[in-house]
Amino acid sequence: MAVVTDELSLVFAALADPTRRAILERLAEGEATVHQLAEPFAMTQQAVSKHLKVLENARLISRGRAAQSRPCALEPERLAEAVGWIERHRQVWAQRHDRLAAHLQRLQGGAA
Amino acid sequence: MTEVGELTFSRIHEAGPELLFDCMTRPEHLTHFWGPAGTTTPLDGIVVDLRPGGAFETTIVGGDGGTHTMRAVYAEIDRPRRLVWIEPGVEGGMRTEITFVDLGDGRTEVVTHQTNVPAAFLAAQARAGFATSLDRFDAYLADLTRDR
Repeated sequence: MAVVTDELSLVFAALADPTRRAILERLAEGEATVHQLAEPFAMTQQAVSKHLKVLENARLISRGRAAQSRPCALEPERLAEAVGWIERHRQVWAQRHDRLAAHLQRLQGGAA
Repeated sequence: MTEVGELTFSRIHEAGPELLFDCMTRPEHLTHFWGPAGTTTPLDGIVVDLRPGGAFETTIVGGDGGTHTMRAVYAEIDRPRRLVWIEPGVEGGMRTEITFVDLGDGRTEVVTHQTNVPAAFLAAQARAGFATSLDRFDAYLADLTRDR
């Protein structure tokens, strides 16, 4: 559990940056090289590479080994985990409030 | 709005804010609804020391007899408007803030805002990052999960 949690923290930390989110949005359309990613963001390839390293550490992206350009690809499973965290907590609160509503009804009107 | 690593959950109840605040802070109420359907939250497993720095603990017993204990510390208490507690041991620190909004017609909107606060989140730049383009990212996340 602790390991999973730490990895999720990495994911959330990686997602906290708007440029990195924009990079992920671009990669959702398909693989891209560092060169292709640098263009629309008006950033140096060096700056983009830094962001890519953070995303790669969080395993939100993977990088090709074969080609020299090492194209980047989105790892949607990791994003799904982040979404899963939010969903799990949402369900806990949804069920809690369902039962709270029933409890209030018993308190206020009995058979209402 | 759903934020990354954050959760906002809102529900309108047919009761005044005082009663709802009490439901969230009194063991004799909590025992009736705290755990998910199919579980129980026995009175003797609930600790409420309602003051800043006081303990808030619950033990939920599952259908199979397994238990899950939450250990939190109250940070802010403002009956019947606001309640904040922090679970230091959960996912790097989780802050839960509940706001009770009196709708003036006998109903109360209960808004729960949960924040997962790992160290990276506390960095000012990370916080600033959250403020921008999150709506777009929400839509993106939603699309992504829909596709799967």
